[in-house]
Amino acid sequence: MALQESIEGFYRRYGPLVYRRCLALLRDEEFALDAMQETFVRLLQNPSGGEVNHPSALLLRIATNVCLNQIRSRKRKPEDPLDELVHRIAALDDPESRSLARALLGRLSFLDSEGLRLAAVLHWVDGMTLEEVARELGLSVSGVRKRLRLIQRRARIWQEVGS
Amino acid sequence: MNRRIPDWLLERYLLDELPEDRRAELRNRLEEDAEARTRLERMRAETEVFLARHPPAVMVPRILARMGTPSRSAPLRLVPVAAAGALAIALFLVVRGGGGEEGIRTKGLAPALVVHRSLGDRAERLNDGALVEEGDLVQLGYVSAGRRYGAIVSVDGSGNVFRHLPLEGELAAPLESGRTVILPHAYELDDAPDFERFFFVAADEPFPIEVVLEVARGLPAHARRLPLPRDFDQATFLLRKPGETR
Repeated sequence: MALQESIEGFYRRYGPLVYRRCLALLRDEEFALDAMQETFVRLLQNPSGGEVNHPSALLLRIATNVCLNQIRSRKRKPEDPLDELVHRIAALDDPESRSLARALLGRLSFLDSEGLRLAAVLHWVDGMTLEEVARELGLSVSGVRKRLRLIQRRARIWQEVGS
Repeated sequence: MNRRIPDWLLERYLLDELPEDRRAELRNRLEEDAEARTRLERMRAETEVFLARHPPAVMVPRILARMGTPSRSAPLRLVPVAAAGALAIALFLVVRGGGGEEGIRTKGLAPALVVHRSLGDRAERLNDGALVEEGDLVQLGYVSAGRRYGAIVSVDGSGNVFRHLPLEGELAAPLESGRTVILPHAYELDDAPDFERFFFVAADEPFPIEVVLEVARGLPAHARRLPLPRDFDQATFLLRKPGETR
């Protein structure tokens, strides 16, 4: 990828999108700006760089994970039920819950906690259908369903989103 | 269909990065969803506002700096010498008439820096690591080795950063190729301690000069490379001051 496109052009095209995503999850302009920069850093450090067909999908995924990590470390008090749900999903990778997550994930070796959290946010926070989540993450619908079921077993999440 | 269209999908629609079948599907949904159309228009407007508030020229250097080292501000240090014309002419003759590229260490195809010091009516070419003093008049040059755009900056022993090429503007300067190019300005070294290190950064595409300045401002003492992506080629040149401590 040409230098100019990879840096300035990339930012001009995708910066606003990434910022909006971060602001929606973090609800703080300053933190969103910081998370946006971190998202681009991770993209530039990614071996695949911008050499993907749809960078917007990759950037949105990276931004979501960056924000969830930030939420987990900031310990900000949630502002409303949806915000609280984001916080609970972010906490999926807390050290105290990691062993449980591993146990749940044991039967699906290809899963990771980041992928789980991402699927959870897309479905329960963004409101995507299982089909939409599957298409965004390049998974089968059954693969998405398995991930969400795993999460639902987590008591804290179950209370919030259980059917 | 009453289900809310996720912002995530609207964002991708806005950038025209949905596969055609999904784009067509979303277009149909948008025709029946006034609220989503309003959100889409708001995103378009916010994009312009965001880029005006946080322009690439400001944000890209910050992003690149995060990949390397923290930044700090620094005042300009070198003093341009107004009457450097005679030296520039002398250097031009030395470089062009004195054997062309023979004495220039291009290290294969890599860009290189060339530094001369004025000795009255003649110019002395300096080696990397040469000892210089306050008041010395130095002139910079470069060999582009085929790279099309470049920037030259320096960092002194106090951590101050100065730009030498281009002197103005936001983007790297177009480079000449096929010869050693001497910059039109000479500089008088001041009393900054220990050393003066020059960096020549070159690439095949134009890039913001601020990218280079930003990473240079956060550079640890005696670092020989700027923390820049591999797209950038770099050459460095060190001038040592008396009493330098390494």
